[in-house]
Amino acid sequence: MITSRRIPANRASEPIRLIQYAARPVDSRSDRGAFQRPVPWRLQYFIVMGGLMILVGSAAGCGTPKPQFEPNLAFMRYQKLAESRADFDDPELREQIDDIEHAVQWLFGTPDAPKLPEFDATELNHFLDLDRLKRSAGPVGGDLAEQTGGLYRQHCARCHGINGSGTGLMAGLLKPYPRDFRRGVFKFKRTSSQVPPTRQDMMRTIERGIPGTAMPSFAELSEEDRLALVQYVQYLSIRGELERFLIVEVAMELDEGERLVSWATREQNPDRFEEEVGWLREVASEPMRRWAEAASHVTHVPEPPEDWRSETSVSRGKALFFTTLTNCAACHGDTALGDGQTDDYGDWAKEFEPGKPAALRDYLALGALPPYKSQPRNLRLGVYRGGEDR
Amino acid sequence: MRTALAIGIVAVLGLMTAMPASGAEWGTLKGQFVFEGKPPIAPPAKITKDKACCGKHHVVDESLLVNPDNRGIQNIIVYLYTGSKKKVNVPVHPSFAKTANADVPLANDKCRFAPHVVLLRTTQILVISNTDPIGHNTKIDTFNNAAINYTIASGGSLKHQFKKPEKLPARVSCSIHPWMIGWVLIRDLPYMAVTDKDGKFEIKNLPVGKWTFMFWQEKAGYVDQVVVGGKKANWKIGRKRGQKEITIKAGDNDLGVIQISPALFNR
Ligand code: HEC
Ligand code: HEC
Repeated sequence: MITSRRIPANRASEPIRLIQYAARPVDSRSDRGAFQRPVPWRLQYFIVMGGLMILVGSAAGCGTPKPQFEPNLAFMRYQKLAESRADFDDPELREQIDDIEHAVQWLFGTPDAPKLPEFDATELNHFLDLDRLKRSAGPVGGDLAEQTGGLYRQHCARCHGINGSGTGLMAGLLKPYPRDFRRGVFKFKRTSSQVPPTRQDMMRTIERGIPGTAMPSFAELSEEDRLALVQYVQYLSIRGELERFLIVEVAMELDEGERLVSWATREQNPDRFEEEVGWLREVASEPMRRWAEAASHVTHVPEPPEDWRSETSVSRGKALFFTTLTNCAACHGDTALGDGQTDDYGDWAKEFEPGKPAALRDYLALGALPPYKSQPRNLRLGVYRGGEDR
Repeated sequence: MRTALAIGIVAVLGLMTAMPASGAEWGTLKGQFVFEGKPPIAPPAKITKDKACCGKHHVVDESLLVNPDNRGIQNIIVYLYTGSKKKVNVPVHPSFAKTANADVPLANDKCRFAPHVVLLRTTQILVISNTDPIGHNTKIDTFNNAAINYTIASGGSLKHQFKKPEKLPARVSCSIHPWMIGWVLIRDLPYMAVTDKDGKFEIKNLPVGKWTFMFWQEKAGYVDQVVVGGKKANWKIGRKRGQKEITIKAGDNDLGVIQISPALFNR
């Protein structure tokens, strides 16, 4: 258990470090490059991605800064809070970014000390279990006395990043890239389109891994550890979705001089502060609810018919493959080599405006990985990332 | 409980300041957007797929369409914007009732989306069709609503309703034909317009009073730096770009000619 004594549970009044994101030249994206150079293993966990090198001494304490959830700068750029990296130097914008990060931190805590908001809708308060989150959060080894905690940084952060941005230390070397959890969008699940996966879906992904990608199987971990990790991924998604929502709020809803949250009131008049920030919990409850209710949106996939391998069934499938009803051939190619449509970007890449060179340069400097076009699968390999292997 | 009370007070205050003096007075907002410079010619779209079918339609990149005759900028989207933080009650003119539940078409037609910009109310039904001989899919990336991605067979069509308003136009695309891009603005209020081939727009039957309007174009994003009547203006309220408060009076409210410099489309 990571005690909340090590870090005060509520650190919202502490300034979030906004690292010199604007000042960093594009070609000094040293973070992932650093992977090629030997970096002491224990240090790697503390290299927080987004290109923002925060090196925290592996020896604990000594006044070194604790790892933080880095702000989603690329999405701020996408929402045009800043239209160039220089814009991020604007003190007023920095204050607004601080407000966003404080608000998220106020509700969800830090990488070392996760928290959960308490919702009026009590059914939402049981979806995530704080003890499980603590088992995943924190530095590797965690609470040294009890030997718990740190599971996420031990097993996942090198690919998925401390904040779930999918830009961990190794990420740039992989294709496909690790998932950015912060959008709340996932691929391998039984729920209908746009509904998050169920916990069971994610348990399956982590147990099985994603064959044909770098995502490994974690079957050797105990089920209890896997469950703690799945809950932590859900937690990172929900906090990431809230952050995205608040970024849009700041970009589109604040009047002249208005702040997202009045932190001053918090000190001076805690009661009024509670009233003011009720809406924040309300807003955070939306992604929480989507996740909590995912299990009721599971689609039913019928068992394949007895004769699915018969000649009639296969030729019917072949005909369908080429129809405009399915468009399978349009993307996967006439011979299913995956060479049909290879000119489109995936949802994650599209947020980095790959068609606009100047914008793209900014996104890369703000921590995005170079976008690549999505690749329809070569269906002749018989390796399935999501489906059963038959 | 206290939170609810606080919200209630905000809502009432909002109502008091926003209500027009007399609910029965209505005005029209209009204007014309023109390109300050040599009108660019829309380049042909990069047809990378189904060339036999799509190649013959001379599809162009529609992200910036400027009329060579009068430099009018097409497809700038203008709408009355009510934020999500403060409840603002905007009276709706009775004439909008008859279209409240209408079907609104969006066709995959000749390898482009027709129309390029769809204005949709949350009570209306979007009818997506495919009149081409090839297959298309229509993907709409909404933010507040669940996004959709439907395959639509040649000759097929389907209906969809988006029940929540969106703050910004949502991108429409076809994953098989990546040059196909369109936009759909989904609002609960009917007060929205898109500029025509001369760059002109008109929103009729607005309640009189002071309202915030949003100006947006797909390539520029927020339309904020403009020149109105020879004077530079920055349409911005606090951090909210592309927004401008306009007092609507009964009758015509003409913003006149609004010039936009080419730089706005290159950022
Ligand atoms: C070696 C790199 C690597 C490590 C370590 C790793 N992942 Fe992944 N992960 C990936 C990649 C790559 C993908 C994307 C696969 C794809 O898009 O098909 C992915 C995808 C995922 C997904 C998304 C599945 C979906 O349905 O979209 C989840 C959830 C996930 N990983 C969880 C974890 C967890 C939890 C851990 C730690 C226990 C972990 N990963 C460790 C590389 C990694
Ligand atoms: C718009 C383009 C498009 C269309 C249409 C399309 N696919 Fe795909 N398909 C893809 C892409 C891209 C991937 C790879 C996704 C990924 O890597 O996450 C894929 C992946 C797959 C996979 C691998 C799934 C897995 O678990 O590994 C199968 C099987 C598949 N498609 C079959 C089909 C069939 C059958 C059809 C027609 C009914 C079809 N696809 C239509 C683009 C398409």
